[in-house]
Amino acid sequence: MKHRYLSISSIIFAAVLTLFTSTNALAEGEKEFAEHKFVLQISDMDASKQTLVLNVAANIMKHYGPDKADVEIVAFGPGLRLMFEENANSNRIDGLVNNSGVRFAACGNTIAKMTKTLGHPPAINSHATVVPGGIIRIKDLADQGYLLVRP
Amino acid sequence: MKYSLSTRFGGLIICAVSLSFTNIASAADWLTLQGTEPAGAANPVNIWGFVQAQYQDDNSDSNAADQYVPAKLIGPDLDSQSQFNVNRARLGVRGVAMPLDSQINYFLLAEFGNNGITDPENSSAKLTDASITFNHVKGARVRVGLFKTPGAEEGLQAIHVFDYINFTNVTNQMLLERFPNRRYTPNVGPQTITPENDFNGFEESVGAFRDVGVQVFNTFKLNNGWEASYAAMLGNGNGLNFGDNDDNKELYLYVAGEKVFSGKGPRRNSLKLFAWSQDGKRTADFTGDTDINGAPIHNPEEYDRERRGAGFKYLNKPWRVTAEYMEGEGMIMQGVHNPSFGIGPCQGNPTSTAGCHGAKAEAKGYYVEAGYRIPSTNWELDARFDNYQRLDGDKFEAEYDKLTLGAQYFFNPRVRVAFNYEISDAEAPNFDSGKGPNANLDGIENRFSVQITAIFKQ
Repeated sequence: MKHRYLSISSIIFAAVLTLFTSTNALAEGEKEFAEHKFVLQISDMDASKQTLVLNVAANIMKHYGPDKADVEIVAFGPGLRLMFEENANSNRIDGLVNNSGVRFAACGNTIAKMTKTLGHPPAINSHATVVPGGIIRIKDLADQGYLLVRP
Repeated sequence: MKYSLSTRFGGLIICAVSLSFTNIASAADWLTLQGTEPAGAANPVNIWGFVQAQYQDDNSDSNAADQYVPAKLIGPDLDSQSQFNVNRARLGVRGVAMPLDSQINYFLLAEFGNNGITDPENSSAKLTDASITFNHVKGARVRVGLFKTPGAEEGLQAIHVFDYINFTNVTNQMLLERFPNRRYTPNVGPQTITPENDFNGFEESVGAFRDVGVQVFNTFKLNNGWEASYAAMLGNGNGLNFGDNDDNKELYLYVAGEKVFSGKGPRRNSLKLFAWSQDGKRTADFTGDTDINGAPIHNPEEYDRERRGAGFKYLNKPWRVTAEYMEGEGMIMQGVHNPSFGIGPCQGNPTSTAGCHGAKAEAKGYYVEAGYRIPSTNWELDARFDNYQRLDGDKFEAEYDKLTLGAQYFFNPRVRVAFNYEISDAEAPNFDSGKGPNANLDGIENRFSVQITAIFKQ
């Protein structure tokens, strides 16, 4: 009898924990009911990759529609330049955020490193959410069923 | 330091600077395309370049003595009337000095081809661009070093997307500067083929529409797709030479308004209106004086050199129309075989009341051109008419007319072949046929050219 009580308690505890965890991990703007979830990684110095990752995000939204697709672009390392406030692609970022709900995450570790190099923190696009670590963010999203794509 | 300020376009530039703007343009006009890198989106090192290989055949007739002048021969060698040539082979690198700092850009380009840049100095390579751009001040970018000067569309535009093979006469003769030699140099007369002497009497590279100096410039996005650009540059007025040959400085002013329809880069669809001016002085010894023993006396003097123009370019595929009017005062070249800038009785005498010396003369010209990209094909048809009045108003005035019919086939956006057929006519209106300058101008006839351009970049 005692053994059965413990088992039910464990199931309830696990269910609550799962609910809490998943709710906590859901960042602002995440589309909980989207059918197609992608996390796009940009970590390259090559500037052409910036255009490529934005094109991929736009094509996903065009194919599935903003209501059925959830896309987050995570930038770290040299790829963080995409999320600089002055970036020449800022108009495209505005469009993807405002028209399609694409999210942008900027790696806090990279920002700290760049701050040390520059002597001041780089100005980051206001649409980007700073996360503790870009690779950690990708792992979290992958665990939630997001498909990782590195264009 | 001496320089003269021209206020001719000053008002226009002040208007352009004071216009309210919503955002700094990312990439649009030649000033921005050639002088800046996209913020946060440029590589530290972008290797790029292009190769142009060509064949030209000139059908001009010799004079009565079976002699030719440079206009009837193929440059830059000026040895024959037909020639294969690799006229341009340029290799460059551009980018951001530090990837995290988009505010400092650089641009480096060298010429390895056979043309007016390399031929006069018998060099196999020459640096044509070496500049650094600072983007720290909003609305006033600063570019320093050696680079293209803000000016006429034909000179300012990137040459590898130029839609014709040869320049118009007004650009080639009046704008593409040939700098006076350090000492007085007598003219080279008409010669037979193959010429016994080098026809090009100038010792230095052509200016290549470039100068060493500092330029303040920017492009602003306005409302309804309009953009406004301005540039003000102070330079040596000594072309591709790193240093200056006198204390005079050159002032360049440029202003443009552009309605952008669509696209980006050098062939975006837009209507551009532009005006420009260039004001400076040249120091040269044109007199050829000698002392009582017959030894040459070096007695250089200063001569004004002013250029100005205005025009428009409309590009909305499949159509393209461009027109520009230009005029110049002082330092009017009389052909590359006349390094003293004088012809006829005025050679070696700039102050002659008979005129005919380019150092103090005037000139003007214009061109109108149109292109049509045949839909659903890789072909483009081009046509251009240009007029140049050298020594305008002088007894020795010479008028050049040229109609260029062209076609281009684009293998892809970066590789194309161009065919040009130039129908030329030149005459000195104040002389009878065969007399005075017409002895050599009469025979200037038609020219066929074909040129392949291949552009590469990382």
